[in-house]
Amino acid sequence: MKITVSVNIGGFSFNIDEDAYAELKRYLKNLEIHFADEESASEILSDIESRISELFRQKLTTFKQVITINDVNEVTAILGSPEDISDNKGPSAREKFSAPGAHRMYRDTDHRIIGGVCAGIGAYWNIEPWIIRIIIVALTMAGGLGILIYLILYIVLPEARTTAQKIEMKGDPVNIHNIKESVKKEFDAVRKNMKL
Amino acid sequence: MDLENTKAQMRKGILEYCILSVLSRDSCYASDIIKELKEAKVIVVEGTLYPLLTRQKNSGLLSYRWEESQQGPPRKYYELTESGRNYLKELDKSWEELVESVNLIRKR
Repeated sequence: MKITVSVNIGGFSFNIDEDAYAELKRYLKNLEIHFADEESASEILSDIESRISELFRQKLTTFKQVITINDVNEVTAILGSPEDISDNKGPSAREKFSAPGAHRMYRDTDHRIIGGVCAGIGAYWNIEPWIIRIIIVALTMAGGLGILIYLILYIVLPEARTTAQKIEMKGDPVNIHNIKESVKKEFDAVRKNMKL
Repeated sequence: MDLENTKAQMRKGILEYCILSVLSRDSCYASDIIKELKEAKVIVVEGTLYPLLTRQKNSGLLSYRWEESQQGPPRKYYELTESGRNYLKELDKSWEELVESVNLIRKR
């Protein structure tokens, strides 16, 4: 048994499995980001949506009334991935993609309490340093492990001195490729949750 | 060198020309064009067509009209404009020249 959602694609209403919906939404979002530079992006996308609608309609019969994840995968294979479709971005864009900006863990001495270890971890994972500090303190009180971890990290992690290192510590600058990646990760996570 | 990439580049170059050629016979909607291009094996993934059609329309080579359809929502029928026909004539010429040139080199 699966939950379905009702969607309007190209003026037609479809019942679509929840996981199939997540995949389709991810695909369309990717296309949208890919055509973001194009002046008639919305027109291209609505044309592609009409085609998706047409291909979906061919997949439905009286005995098969719901669009499944397989249908979505077949249709997106016919239409092609955003990289295949747009011609202005060659392999260079794809290379850029697979090698995102460096993201390293440093000690953040700008926001330190002792040596900047917890602040650095917080900056790396983008979480509040106090959460890390509480964990370290808790581990210290529960047998002294916290101090050991802190000392090892203090020795292992270099201090973020230059601006470049400080940027590396926080991760990638926000650009279109990162957004695309994070959208993909988000939907992959949604998909995994739904399978459970 | 990547063979698949080279092939794809070659196909991309002639795809634009093929779309105009298909439309020179009769006005079509996108799925008709796709069908012809697929039969002729000049297109691999369908999605490639849509940005090209929109660009050709924006540059005045094509125009479109909405037409009711029996099977579903209204369809976008594309047709060549006057400037599209002239453009195609030029492409016809240059295609023949290209074929001649390539043949000349290959048969030498």
